[in-house]
Amino acid sequence: MSAPSIADDLSRWATTEPDRVALIVGEKAVSFGELDGLTDRLAAGLREHGVQRGDRVGIMLPNGVDAVVAIEGTLRAGAAIMPINPTAKHERVTDLMQRSEAAALLCDKERAGEVAEAMSAVGEVPWFSDLDQVSSDVPAPTETPDEADLAALMHTSGSTGGPKGVMHCHGGLSFVTDSIIEYLEISPDDRVLNLLPLSFGYGLTHLLFCLRSGATLVLEPGVGLPGKIVKLLEGQEITGLPGVPTVFQVLLTLRGLAERPLPHLRFLTNAGAALPTPAIEEVRRTFPNATLYSMYGQTECIRTCYLPPDQLDTRPDSVGVPIPGSDTWIEDDEGNEVGPGMVGELIVRGPHVMQGYWRNPGATAQRVREGRHPGERVLASNDLFRTDEEGYLYFIGRRDDIIKSRGEKVPPREVEEVLHLDPAVHEAAVVGVPDRLLGEAVHAHVSAREGQELEPAALKRLCAEHLEDYMVPQKIVVHDELPRNQNNKVDRLALAAGGE
Amino acid sequence: MTEAATDIRTDMRSFLEENFLYMHPGVELKDGDDFLALGIIDSLGFVELVEEVQSRFELTIDDIEITEENFGSIDAIAQFVAAKQAS
Repeated sequence: MSAPSIADDLSRWATTEPDRVALIVGEKAVSFGELDGLTDRLAAGLREHGVQRGDRVGIMLPNGVDAVVAIEGTLRAGAAIMPINPTAKHERVTDLMQRSEAAALLCDKERAGEVAEAMSAVGEVPWFSDLDQVSSDVPAPTETPDEADLAALMHTSGSTGGPKGVMHCHGGLSFVTDSIIEYLEISPDDRVLNLLPLSFGYGLTHLLFCLRSGATLVLEPGVGLPGKIVKLLEGQEITGLPGVPTVFQVLLTLRGLAERPLPHLRFLTNAGAALPTPAIEEVRRTFPNATLYSMYGQTECIRTCYLPPDQLDTRPDSVGVPIPGSDTWIEDDEGNEVGPGMVGELIVRGPHVMQGYWRNPGATAQRVREGRHPGERVLASNDLFRTDEEGYLYFIGRRDDIIKSRGEKVPPREVEEVLHLDPAVHEAAVVGVPDRLLGEAVHAHVSAREGQELEPAALKRLCAEHLEDYMVPQKIVVHDELPRNQNNKVDRLALAAGGE
Repeated sequence: MTEAATDIRTDMRSFLEENFLYMHPGVELKDGDDFLALGIIDSLGFVELVEEVQSRFELTIDDIEITEENFGSIDAIAQFVAAKQAS
């Protein structure tokens, strides 16, 4: 028998333990029974508004009860979620809705202005800034999506060609959720504080594994004022805190945190980008009772590997072993498997490998390939790794020029295109620079057309008008001329190394 | 309002203008306005803001003091700093 579908997890707990707390947002606790009722009403309403099995539904909501209901209601309607970063601007929303040919969009009142502008360019697709507008009391659809049904279309950035829609089916998401539950040893007694956006693959996994295991998800729209996080860790008796390096680095700035006993906190997870080894040590000193899991993943397979915590002392810079039920190996440029110490591309095999990129067979063929055995599908990660003698994995670097800031991907070209919207910009080069809090900071280097002036603050505002928050450069440097390399191209390496 | 509290407000306003408000030319920040609700400061911004308050007013600030009640607005900071200085 196949694993139960992630679309059934909520209703299963709602049937057996309806009063059990599923979700806590601020002062509000929502039981599995209540959440199930809200989900039913939204699923029924989406069907009434024409959403069919296999359709995509855009979801542009900050972490909160509505975001959870939108995700679960969409899945229950048999459709696939298409998360949109809640700070996205209208051009991006239009682009994603058009690319995915989505059947509806769910947002909130705060985003209604941006979404209205986006949807006027999309055409006849219904959108709602209040879930009550769409929810209905007619009976919800009862058929369960099967393993091969599309569950999520999650967009990821590449160096070129705009965002790509990663397709995950129910079977793949169910597999990765079970695998995470296994290695993090999640039980119904866990209380997980999720500050990461549910629109982000890593954030979404916490909702999925809590609903599946009966654990309680404490949801916050971000770190915000970090004192609140400390109060939640204590007051809500949090057992698990997932973060990206930025979250941990912010917490490490807090005075007095290391002296708090936090007896309930049993695990921390880091993904999105690596924590430097000194920061790992500092995190362990600050949370001495909690076990830290260093993990690596990408949208194309959600999670790839994790370091078993008993290995943290021996190999703190490793990201460990493949998640349970999957396999990885490293290949050279000719596709031959390489041994310990040799750097090559990480290859991933398992049911969590994406179905491919939405309507993009060319890009799909580059990343989803036949494996070592006939009929096997594997994911070429496009990331460089090596293993040690015992087979533990080490991330070496990316093959593309994507910047990882706050754990999210920033394609330099997209930022440069926005800078060029200012006609006074002659040249623009955006690079990533190591940063304690951000992992990498986004720095933009620009030069002006002859006779024109550029003002960094105005360019930063221009970026903020068109880009998601995490893509806006922290620093903009105006040059008379950008430095050139031997090939007479803009010398990005020099700029990244601090060339002003 | 005490003279000290007025000074704290003025100091904070100039710091905020220099570091955050220039990104939001349409926002006219009032002393009671909520930084988070207006979206002018995120978690990283609060780290900078707390560092600034610590160094400018020579205070040590504990983890759980960094809340909306104490850092959520110019008024909140002025009251918090004045109370810390008096203690």
